[in-house]
Amino acid sequence: MNTKPTTTTIVYDDDSVRNFMIASIFWGLVGMGAGVLIAFQLNYWQLNGKFLEWITFGLLQSEGVEFLTFGRLRPLHTNAAIFAFVGNMMFAGIYYSTQRLCRVRMASKLLTNINFWGWQFIIVCAAISLPAGFSRGKEYAELIWPINIMIAVIWLVFGANFFWTLSKRNEKSLYVGLWFYIATIVTITMLYVVNHLSIPTCFTHSYPLLGGVQDALVQWWYGHNAVAFFLTTPMLGIMYYFVPKAANRPVYSYRLSIIHFWSLVFIYIWAGPHHLLNTALPEWLQSLGMIFSLMLWAPSWAGMLNGLLTLRGAWDRLLTDPVIKFFAAAVTFYGMCTFEGPLLSIKAVNALSHYTDWTVGHVHSGTLGWNGFLAAGMFYWLAPRLWKTKLHSTALANAHFWLGMVGILLYVASMWVAGITQGLMLNATIEGGTVLQYPNFLDTLQAIRPVMLFRAIGGGLYLLGFAMMAYNIWRTARSGTAVNGTVEVEVTDIETPSMISSFLSAPVMYALAIIFSICLTIFSGGALFIVGIFLTITCIIVAIAHFQFSKASWEAWYSKLLDHGFAFTVLTIVAAGIGGAIQIIPTVTMQRADNIEGRLQVPYTPLELAGRDIYVSEGCYNCHSQMIRTLVPDVMRYGESNGEQRGYSHLGESIYDFPHQWGSKRTGPDLAREGGLRSDDWHYFHMLDPRSVSPGSNMPNYTWLFKKPIKVSQLPRKIDVMRMLGVPYPIDLSEEDIQAQIDEQSAGIVARLAEKGAFTDPDREIIALIAYLQKIGTYEMVSAKDSSEAAE
Amino acid sequence: MFKRIIYDDWTSIIPIISFWLTFGVFLAITVRALFLKKTTVSHMENLPLEEDDNSTTQAASK
Repeated sequence: MNTKPTTTTIVYDDDSVRNFMIASIFWGLVGMGAGVLIAFQLNYWQLNGKFLEWITFGLLQSEGVEFLTFGRLRPLHTNAAIFAFVGNMMFAGIYYSTQRLCRVRMASKLLTNINFWGWQFIIVCAAISLPAGFSRGKEYAELIWPINIMIAVIWLVFGANFFWTLSKRNEKSLYVGLWFYIATIVTITMLYVVNHLSIPTCFTHSYPLLGGVQDALVQWWYGHNAVAFFLTTPMLGIMYYFVPKAANRPVYSYRLSIIHFWSLVFIYIWAGPHHLLNTALPEWLQSLGMIFSLMLWAPSWAGMLNGLLTLRGAWDRLLTDPVIKFFAAAVTFYGMCTFEGPLLSIKAVNALSHYTDWTVGHVHSGTLGWNGFLAAGMFYWLAPRLWKTKLHSTALANAHFWLGMVGILLYVASMWVAGITQGLMLNATIEGGTVLQYPNFLDTLQAIRPVMLFRAIGGGLYLLGFAMMAYNIWRTARSGTAVNGTVEVEVTDIETPSMISSFLSAPVMYALAIIFSICLTIFSGGALFIVGIFLTITCIIVAIAHFQFSKASWEAWYSKLLDHGFAFTVLTIVAAGIGGAIQIIPTVTMQRADNIEGRLQVPYTPLELAGRDIYVSEGCYNCHSQMIRTLVPDVMRYGESNGEQRGYSHLGESIYDFPHQWGSKRTGPDLAREGGLRSDDWHYFHMLDPRSVSPGSNMPNYTWLFKKPIKVSQLPRKIDVMRMLGVPYPIDLSEEDIQAQIDEQSAGIVARLAEKGAFTDPDREIIALIAYLQKIGTYEMVSAKDSSEAAE
Repeated sequence: MFKRIIYDDWTSIIPIISFWLTFGVFLAITVRALFLKKTTVSHMENLPLEEDDNSTTQAASK
């Protein structure tokens, strides 16, 4: 009950909004700059370090610089774009709108500062560690474990500050934008923690708890939902706040926003397996991923239409107001990429698109079009208000819009053409489908090189437009004075149900009783099965009777939960958690022996394990997959090993891979059966100068592998951890044994190389990498009985 | 029974359950949204615009 309203002045903390906004623009320039560089690297391999010779007129002699290779810079680009650019933009939008929607200042300036500076420190750590080759080898989850912990801590600080602010709010109702922020905070926490569970082997290295298919499933549950809950839900919250503000009219349909929120949060989490279509992932998971991706069309387009129609009556301002322009384009791109996503999740379409540039184009229409333009619109709207002045130049903002728009269209169209071309060429067959039309992978790469160049130019134009925005906002800030918003509010004691009473309400109790009864029915047998059915029916009847005979209404029951931030948060966790739990728990708990499909991977020797870590560290997975899909062209192209056709990749072939390296893009060929396919000296010369054995290749030279020694001292600990994870290394493997095995295996490789005129020391990283490459895809055939016994 | 559901029949049952679960959530939320009071909707949708009425600014301290 509201009592004794008093009026007070709230001064919003807009310093933090300014800080996050400036950080977002700065890191956006860095991340996009890295993106343009790696896009050009795909066309000009010399940009992997060789170019330093040219620009220093020979002063720096280098065939390649390890810190500048595509494999290391691509994770830098993706992490910078996601966590640095969009992350800071998200914080700016959330801090600004949450204070105003709750009509209260952020709860703690200290927590806000820790959030800001902690996040920037993390980004700096990432910017150093990724080019240095410290990587977990999982996309968008490459950062090493100490940084993972820092991210978790800072995220919790942000969450604590946010929920503390909610608890102090002077507005009883939680606007839908806040719902999306809540979903972001709780779901990202869940996703990030689960996918980053690792066992450290040293300060800069760890192995994930899960391997093979289990790791793949969890990785793409995380990877897909990082897009959903880091790049989408906070953006939707920002859309629901800033688009009405810019258009100066309420959201088109608040009812639609409710449906949008709950269906999006509920459905999105299920769609992760669409990243693994046609792979060795169990069929039922693939079906779930595809079906739920298709279902996503509905809520996504509900949100898109709600955003666009909010601009009704403000369309005339589209001509003059750059903010409206950016918002309209951003929401349109949201609609486009959420149409394209489900389309790409149809298995037949995915067979063509997956591992090609089509997917790359799809994600960039989301990040550049949806996130990037929404950020630009928000920044152009915020800057005059945060510095109490006019935007420096509307003309420059308009120029930014058109430059960015042309850049995106050039980028996305190029990637469509490149992806479809390469997909068609890789799948093309002749002679009645018995022979590949383009057996040489490089033919398909050469065919798309011109459009890849257009992509890089498109990205460059977008970056140029973004730089113009940075200049425009800098000039705007200089022309004004930093101000903090203030507002007169009536402070009342808002009666919110207590945490306990929110849950001890009739609807929650009935819901829990019904869920318990259903579980009893499903998971038990005999008399308990009958009891479960009886209880389920009884609970439903009693609940309906209670509702009918009491004067309560469904709305009152529901609102009671919504008015309490904590209860709402729990509801969101349940909605977002169900899909993940149903997919992941059976996959993770299932006996490994049941999952190997008759093929059991042969564990890596110490030298091969060291080589695999080099493969992961260099980011080879960014261009090479290790998964022969259950598709005829894939099997024809990659299925042969040692002169024998071995079909698609089975689950057991990667069961000891921590992390899995199935990959998501084939700029180079699949390597799932690379072992024994080529000679040691072929790999030697290929790593030294790829074009010497593969004319036309765009792969960097890996000359430093011929100089750097293998980190043998780390191997005992790594093998210990592998053993803890279930890899059957002998328990009594001593350091001396490990060294002896390495010496013996490396001596054999060195001798074979020497016969072909390739010379190197046995302790160089290239030897370990060759050992690993020659092992990939090695397995033994086992019967179901044998595998069960092995598991025991 | 648990073992049968989890390990043997999981593939055929879960997609169906998942679909109906989703449909149920969607239906419940849609009904809930359609029956919202007009006054509630009006209040909620105007929340972002309300603060403009009595908001101002003051110089930042730094």
